[in-house]
Amino acid sequence: MDLDFFSKSIVIGLTEHAPLVLAAIGFALLYRLTGLINVAYSETITLGAYFGMWFNTTYDLNFYTVLLPAGIVAGLISVGTYFAVFRPAKKLNVGALEMIIISFGLSIVLRHALQFVFGYPVRFFEVPPPVSIRVLGVGVGAFRILAVASVAAVSLALYYFIQRTSFGLQIRALASDEDLAQASGIRPLFVTVLIWFIAGVAGGMAGAFYGVSSSVAPLLGWRQFLFIFLVVVVGGRKGLGGVIITGALTGIALAAMTLQFGQVLYAQLALIVAFVALLKWRSKRSIETVKV
Amino acid sequence: MNLNWLDAFLISGLFSVVVIIGLALLLHLQLGLTRIANFGVVGFFGIGMYSFGVLFTKVDWPFGDLPAFLVSLAFGTLVAGLSGLLVGWLIADLDEDGVLVGTLGFATVVFILATTEQDLTGGALGLGGLKFPYDVGTVKADEFLWLIIVIIVVTLIFLYVWWVHRTPYGRLLIATGANEPLARSLGKATFRTKLWLFAVGSAGMGMIGALFGVMERFLAPENLGIDVTLAAMVALVIGGTARAWGAVIGGFLIFGFFDIIVQSYIPFPKAWYGQAIPNAKLIVEGLVLMGVLLFRPLGILGAMRRDKLMRRVHG
Repeated sequence: MDLDFFSKSIVIGLTEHAPLVLAAIGFALLYRLTGLINVAYSETITLGAYFGMWFNTTYDLNFYTVLLPAGIVAGLISVGTYFAVFRPAKKLNVGALEMIIISFGLSIVLRHALQFVFGYPVRFFEVPPPVSIRVLGVGVGAFRILAVASVAAVSLALYYFIQRTSFGLQIRALASDEDLAQASGIRPLFVTVLIWFIAGVAGGMAGAFYGVSSSVAPLLGWRQFLFIFLVVVVGGRKGLGGVIITGALTGIALAAMTLQFGQVLYAQLALIVAFVALLKWRSKRSIETVKV
Repeated sequence: MNLNWLDAFLISGLFSVVVIIGLALLLHLQLGLTRIANFGVVGFFGIGMYSFGVLFTKVDWPFGDLPAFLVSLAFGTLVAGLSGLLVGWLIADLDEDGVLVGTLGFATVVFILATTEQDLTGGALGLGGLKFPYDVGTVKADEFLWLIIVIIVVTLIFLYVWWVHRTPYGRLLIATGANEPLARSLGKATFRTKLWLFAVGSAGMGMIGALFGVMERFLAPENLGIDVTLAAMVALVIGGTARAWGAVIGGFLIFGFFDIIVQSYIPFPKAWYGQAIPNAKLIVEGLVLMGVLLFRPLGILGAMRRDKLMRRVHG
């Protein structure tokens, strides 16, 4: 195997799958900090793509301008789902398993409701053909470079926000002990809303990146959900840093296997098998302490 | 056979309702009793359907249609059962997120294989050449007979579920679902129980998939969408996850309404049937799932039969 293969895998993996890392960060925030497996997160991604496309085509704005608004709308919708569904569910003491199924139901509702709003046909961003830039001898579209840069910027900002600011401290306090956090004067509602908003913005921006590099369709987010979830479940134990690294490695692995097998589906297949095997292996190692 | 009294839409509508009820009954054992959320129902359904279809259509059978069909059906069921065993082994000691990853991952793997293995499955174009293992005259009569056969199969599944509710095995499933460490500390082999449960449940789902494939006559990866899993889950949840009758009542209530009444008896504008109604149906399914689990988690039928019995006896 030559050097060319490695550099290609790394460049394609990081640029093409950068949105995966961004989406995984958002999902991980919810998963780690509120303990919720939110299947409807895939629709946050899809809606980010749809709103980006809609701003882009309706107001004739370029992609760089619509990126943040698309993220903000997705963030607001994410907060909306918290108030409409997840907060009431928590108050009603719904179990963890039921919560997953409820979020699955919400995901279906959003996915099909958006088709009544945006129509059934597949839609596209109206952008000029991206300028190709050569990185390590591999041609890469400008949007993908932007995606990598945004992912890096957002990741760093989030990391700083959660690890270094007082809001971040409040978020972590709330995640580890809600009662104690409340007793020490943290307003749980404000902090929780903040988490949902940031997660939604990350998901929405990821969606816009997915949408601009291919097409905007109702299944856009759902097709990525399993991989996002795998990255977060496998990498999430080591905090946000673990998620970012696992996401990046996953992207590179997907690119390398796609080059090797000549088909992206085989790469996805191998990835699913590898990750599930990894989870199984990890549970086998830890199980003796948990077992009664 | 004179079947003029029977509407062709009614046959296909009833057929899809019965298929969903069959899947929901098997899901009931996993989700309702043992509390394992199997999000991969469509994976087992699909692997049974394709294993059956590939063997049935690709092999040059030396004997008649019926034996070929039975052998292929057994093969499809077996493959689904073995994959259930594998998936069961993978997820039996994982928590909710592991179960979600494992089952959803399996369904995705089946979808990918159905798409990529073009020599066997026809890929995205699909696999044709399936037919009923008999010929009783008209297409309608063939389909009607097939509906009867599938109703018999699903009734047998129902009787199995009903029987499980009344046996020590059923109580073991309930105990495993309610408190696994406790069940294990009492000497119950919960891991093996889950394996067996997944193997049998998946085999059943695979068999239903094969029977569904015959009626469909044409297998395509579009048949393997998440809406199959959703349908089984919705039917079960609205009827009652904890009760054997839940899947039956829920299936008739929601899919009887959409696949029979809306499809054949309400005169909506023709144009709506293409995309608007299927889309609205899925929205309703999602809303039902959320609404029921939020406000009446045990569905229409409510608590388990024996819980009610206990309350009556002990006050």
